Amino acid sequence: MATQAPSGKVPRQTGRVKSDGFHEGFLRHRNFYWLKFASILSLIVIVAYMIIDVEPRHNGGSWYGYTLGTIGAGLIIWLTTLGIRKRNMTPKAWSLKAWTSAHVYLGLSLIIVATLHTGFQFGLNVHTLAYVLMMIVIISGLFGIFAYSTLPQQLSFNRDQVTETQMLESLRAIDRQLHDAAQPLAQNYAALVRESLEQDPFADGLRARLFRSYPNCATRRVHAELRQATRNRVNIGNDPLERVDGLLERKSSMLARVRRHLQIKALLEFWLYIHVPITFALIAALIAHIISVFFYW
Amino acid sequence: MSFIIRHISTTADGRQIIRPTTLATRQIYIGRDSACEIHLADLGVDMRHAKASILDGGKLLVEAQGNLGFDADGRSVQSVTIDPAVGGELRFGSHRLNITREDGNVVIAVERIAAVSDSADTKDVSTVFQLNGLLPGRRPAAWALIAVTLALFLIWPIYTYATSHGVKTRDAGFHADTMWTSGNLSQSHKSLENNCQACHVNKFESVTDKTCLTCHKDDAHEHADPARQGQSMAPKGFGDKVERMFEASFGIPEGRCVECHSEHEGAGHMEPTAQKFCADCHADMKTRLPDTKLGSAGDFGIDHPQFMPAITVGFDGNKRLTRRAVLDGPLTENNGLKFPHDVHMSKTNGIARMAQTMKAEQGWGNSLACKDCHTPTADGTRFLPTEMEADCAMCHSLAFDKIGGTIRTLRHGKPEQVIADLRAFYRSTGPERPINLSSMARRRPGEYAATETAFDFAAGARAWPGQADEAIRAVFTKGGACYDCHVVTPTLVGGWQVQKVVQPDRYMNKGWFDHDAHKQESCTSCHAADTSKVATDLLLPNQKSCRTCHVGGTGESLIAVKKPVESTCGMCHDYHMDGGAPWDAKAGQTRSGQGSVRPPPTPNTVTTSASPYRSVRFGVQLARK
Repeated sequence: MATQAPSGKVPRQTGRVKSDGFHEGFLRHRNFYWLKFASILSLIVIVAYMIIDVEPRHNGGSWYGYTLGTIGAGLIIWLTTLGIRKRNMTPKAWSLKAWTSAHVYLGLSLIIVATLHTGFQFGLNVHTLAYVLMMIVIISGLFGIFAYSTLPQQLSFNRDQVTETQMLESLRAIDRQLHDAAQPLAQNYAALVRESLEQDPFADGLRARLFRSYPNCATRRVHAELRQATRNRVNIGNDPLERVDGLLERKSSMLARVRRHLQIKALLEFWLYIHVPITFALIAALIAHIISVFFYW
Repeated sequence: MSFIIRHISTTADGRQIIRPTTLATRQIYIGRDSACEIHLADLGVDMRHAKASILDGGKLLVEAQGNLGFDADGRSVQSVTIDPAVGGELRFGSHRLNITREDGNVVIAVERIAAVSDSADTKDVSTVFQLNGLLPGRRPAAWALIAVTLALFLIWPIYTYATSHGVKTRDAGFHADTMWTSGNLSQSHKSLENNCQACHVNKFESVTDKTCLTCHKDDAHEHADPARQGQSMAPKGFGDKVERMFEASFGIPEGRCVECHSEHEGAGHMEPTAQKFCADCHADMKTRLPDTKLGSAGDFGIDHPQFMPAITVGFDGNKRLTRRAVLDGPLTENNGLKFPHDVHMSKTNGIARMAQTMKAEQGWGNSLACKDCHTPTADGTRFLPTEMEADCAMCHSLAFDKIGGTIRTLRHGKPEQVIADLRAFYRSTGPERPINLSSMARRRPGEYAATETAFDFAAGARAWPGQADEAIRAVFTKGGACYDCHVVTPTLVGGWQVQKVVQPDRYMNKGWFDHDAHKQESCTSCHAADTSKVATDLLLPNQKSCRTCHVGGTGESLIAVKKPVESTCGMCHDYHMDGGAPWDAKAGQTRSGQGSVRPPPTPNTVTTSASPYRSVRFGVQLARK
């Protein structure tokens, strides 16, 4: 959501638009233009639902039901095209930011349009399946909005101006130093240090990343064991074990930062693994829904 | 013979740097200790891990010094003998030692083959921080979900359709096209729930009337001439026009059964016909159908014709002839009875007094009430016809004789039987013998009166049978038991004709009324019986009376109503009329502000009668002798 799109009579620029210093994200885009648009759309649809007298009751098969269904299906298809659109950046009125803004707010108005389309008739059938899939996509999208609007700040705060490459590099540096510092150690201590060195910081699964849960962290365990073994020894300054202890401490704190980084990045990415595939399941269910309705007219 | 040690290291760009060292000794140590000849900076290696010695004959013996072994040509060993001429490979921790022979010397090439740590291993910084590989890819997942969804919810049901096309009843198992249902079927169609093909006959073809009529052979009929019905319909709104346009373009005819009888609206009764369906035609019908005899009926509260009860005008044999009369003012109907309601309901007259004396016996109040004579039907919807024996005879007795403890009564409803019984009575009995004619009494001179009595008795006894005619005439004429309540006329052949009594159970056969639903009202709040002086008064309430509570389906009314009951057409009328309650009435109604819903009467208990009136009976009454 890089830059602000030109609005009003500001002369159009070609190429990348320079920021005026105030970042206007996709949520605030054009002073909430799409929020207003989507709200008005929802309001019209709700008022029409209440005014229009469908007998015996509202459902998807009345003329208003068909209208809402057509609007809803059109919205779903258009919302899906964000995936195509985002691969082509343009800075103009239909900039990617404008598109994303519309995607978010029109996507939310789909809750109203589709729910009224159902006429609140739900059951164990393909029609409700399409509705449920749509709601899963919208709710995961809501999480995406939350993630995109709050997590980048935390990510930046946690990185503390360190890039991912630098993070990895500093881990390597600590490992090299550990390796060197452990050279004079007796075999039992050397084996412990080797466990920490052989630990892959990226090996743990999705659960570990999302919840920052690493109960079997080798570095932490080795550090604790080393402390346990040396607790009765006098600190004599140049004992290689003291150096190793210090290095393990540094490695632990570096790992903590890497893991927080991994967690935030996983949260930023994870919802898309639901949002995108379920969108396609939804489109398939939508096709089945529409065909079935006219197949058994 | 000596050792040549070659340390091989690789630069970042893949170049190899080899540092050779020559050791003129036959024995060297391998270990992490820097004092070892082959020093391996490897935490997987012991301080003094192994000793390598050149044996006589040129072979090399490598022996582990501690508990940790090493790998020789892939096998884990404690000691090994290698012929350098053949060559061999040893592995200590992350280091590989390659042994060869060159110019009589043992050459050991030392190379680190694994990174110092895992993090130092090759890692792609562009992917390692992402979720790639931890979750199934989005694209394959999307394709898989599309395939599964289409297969389960589109292809499978279509296959089911194709294989059950034309089948009458499918087996009870699962059929995939039931996943396409948009809601449960109503109670009456529940058996079709597993048989989609019963109604959805051809693919992409809407349900046709023909399909409905395969089962509804007898009970479905046209409401009116379709042409006239079409003409009387109100013009469509925009949305309906568009819908019709779409339907027409797909060849769907207008006015199908399913347009009103929408299905898949959930289990339970089918939805009642909505007011709009009636009002579309019946409101201002004259403007579109000038020759119609029907009044405009758009909404009960504001636009409904006055009630037109069918009142009795005569008889054709046993068939009751009726005429519909507008209930604008008081109407009269000759039902064959002489029955003043006001006298019977008075709280002060002799009847009230009589009611008080019979209070304990009959369970009455201080005067007669409606319920003392009128019995509701089992479901409470209507009233049973009053019965002479059950509802009148407790006061209007037909007893005429007593033999022992048995009372003989005249047969109500059978005038010929009455006449026969009376004749038999006079034939078989004599006049009662006066007490002063006791056979035990002694006759004394001068007792003239007794002689007189005996004389009279003898004369009376002789003339006794002749009194039957007189008694019969007395019963059927003014002052007689029959004449009191019935209209009796003498016939030319010397008999008596009692006019038929008619007690219709319904006056309005196009509408429907449930007394049970009006329990909270007193009878007289609708039926002015307490002031009715003659039996010919038609005690039906008119529309104005109903409108004191009932407002239209839209809540509109001509007068202010405190607790309005919203009444759509369906509350009293039904499209396919029969004796039963309309759908809407069956579903129960709430009186706003009260919040109580009357449970719908069981459909089977609603009184139905093929004949427009329940019974026509004779009634005859005989004066007490």
